[in-house]
Amino acid sequence: MGTYITRRLLGMIPMLFFITVAVFLMMHAAPGNAFNSIMNPAIKDPQALIASLEAQNFLNKPLWWQYFHWIGLFVTGNWGFSFAQHAPVIDLVGPAIQNTLILSVMAEIITLAIGIPLGVLQSRKPYSGFDYTTSVVSFILFSVPYFIFAILLIYLFAIHLRIFPAQGAVGTGPNAGSLLDHIYHALLPALSISLVSLAFYSRNTRGSMLEVSRKDYVRTAYAKGLMEGKVFSKHVLRNALIPLITFFGLDIGNLVGGAVILEGLFSYQGMGLLTISAVNNRDYNVIMATTIIFAVAVLLGNLLADILYAVVDPRIRYN
Amino acid sequence: MSAQVSTPNDTNIEVTSRRGRPSKSPTRMAFERFMVNKAAIISTVVLLLIVIMSIAAPLITHVSPTHQFLSSTDTPPGPGHVLGTDQSGFDLFSRDVYGGRVDLLIGFVDTVIVMTIAMVLGGLAGYYGGWIDSLVMRVCDFMFNFPFLLLIIVLSAIFNTTSVWLLILVIGLTGWPGMTRLVRSLFLNLRESEFVLASRMSGAGAFRIIFRHMVPNVMGVMVVQATFAVAGFIAAEAALAVIGFGVKPPTPSWGDVLSNSLGYFTLATEPYAWVPPAALITITILCINFIGDGLRDAFDPSFEA
Repeated sequence: MGTYITRRLLGMIPMLFFITVAVFLMMHAAPGNAFNSIMNPAIKDPQALIASLEAQNFLNKPLWWQYFHWIGLFVTGNWGFSFAQHAPVIDLVGPAIQNTLILSVMAEIITLAIGIPLGVLQSRKPYSGFDYTTSVVSFILFSVPYFIFAILLIYLFAIHLRIFPAQGAVGTGPNAGSLLDHIYHALLPALSISLVSLAFYSRNTRGSMLEVSRKDYVRTAYAKGLMEGKVFSKHVLRNALIPLITFFGLDIGNLVGGAVILEGLFSYQGMGLLTISAVNNRDYNVIMATTIIFAVAVLLGNLLADILYAVVDPRIRYN
Repeated sequence: MSAQVSTPNDTNIEVTSRRGRPSKSPTRMAFERFMVNKAAIISTVVLLLIVIMSIAAPLITHVSPTHQFLSSTDTPPGPGHVLGTDQSGFDLFSRDVYGGRVDLLIGFVDTVIVMTIAMVLGGLAGYYGGWIDSLVMRVCDFMFNFPFLLLIIVLSAIFNTTSVWLLILVIGLTGWPGMTRLVRSLFLNLRESEFVLASRMSGAGAFRIIFRHMVPNVMGVMVVQATFAVAGFIAAEAALAVIGFGVKPPTPSWGDVLSNSLGYFTLATEPYAWVPPAALITITILCINFIGDGLRDAFDPSFEA
């Protein structure tokens, strides 16, 4: 297992290299840069100012030089300076990751806490009235795009009832920035993600439970006289959760970068919103930093999914 | 063994007609199973109505969706404008009706693009395995991490256009890895099956094995996946529009109409602006998913009609 993990981690390095090169080239292929939009009438010669700012930030050097200059600094922890927000990139990324993690961890908890028990309940009495109703409802929930949910939730809870904020990650006042304030602000976006993905989890849990309960070893367990509850918990549930572990691992990869659209919609100051504004402002250092963070998260999530799979299913061995 | 064609009068003939009815092709059986699924039938009808509405848009409204009525912006529903106008003076009803063209175009064309790429790359990776497989899978991993927002900006600058086809191209170029992985896993399973071995033993080449034997076997799954993909791409268009990377005005699309009405006051006071596009997107996606679900049951031989 140790060698397997090491090999996978080393395999990420060329992947990250190709991703950063591609993003770097694309970024510079996009028209204009962060300084082109300087339009202050008080500045007498904007062209000279733009030229000197470009020179200061090495934008007039050849592209390959800029890339290696940037990556040399990046690996030593110097992630550069944001052109648009006039702050070190690290200082921007830190709070953004924190906000995004609060949002996506909340969404994941709601999803798992409702989705899996719902699927288990459905599979206990398949094709009953309860199973049929909840299956249709979850199919409809699964089909509705999450930004539509988000708009409906904003309309209902933020505009009409006025009990939740329509946008932002932190409020104002004495409690601004506390954990409770964060949770309060993240609840609506988290709910909009959960409504879709809990339908996905309940559908898959139900299918997986039904499949396992038809297995021969379950019949054997009943045949040797085990109690219903014991068969259910020891033999059916544990095996039915194996395929779900994979989805969970993939979710972990998406915790950081999975909510770009919702963050844009809710003006929620997380990684997604940071990326959107950086792309719009040609804020090169921020784009590179968020790209790398997204990529590392996805690659680590995939690795974690594979490891979890081997942990819960002893038949799978990596050597 | 001469009776190839079964007639009702023939009594001692082939197995197929022993039950007293002519044999049906698998496609016909699937079609009949689909036809008893009420949700799928209703969804097909509703989806057809939406498609007809989009194609026949000029017959439904005489108002141009791209004309700005600058003297009457932000008007409520009234005689001249069925659903009023937005803050730029565009007629909302007309944009809702015409908008379906763009959304359905993106959904269908991107599905064709993604399916083609997935069948070719996934098929090659799954059939040959080895280094081809590794290469295709690494490219998939690469594409999963690709920042497509950046790609949209770069491509729109390079081609100096903000047309719908650019968006179609970007969604198509970034949307194929998931489907490719699916095709690959299907081909990996099929490769080991007896009928592929049999055709290889009888001297069939790779081309013949892939296209005559393996592709027809994955077709059922692929049709179902393609249906869900259409819904996914329509949702993607609207999602991109919501964060400002979608179809640009004056081209009408549901996502564009929706994203233009997401200001606080529009959302609070003008439901006629955002409810129709949101409902059209949701209903279209719901219908397509119900059809996909019906197709999945229909293609599943273990499903009893």
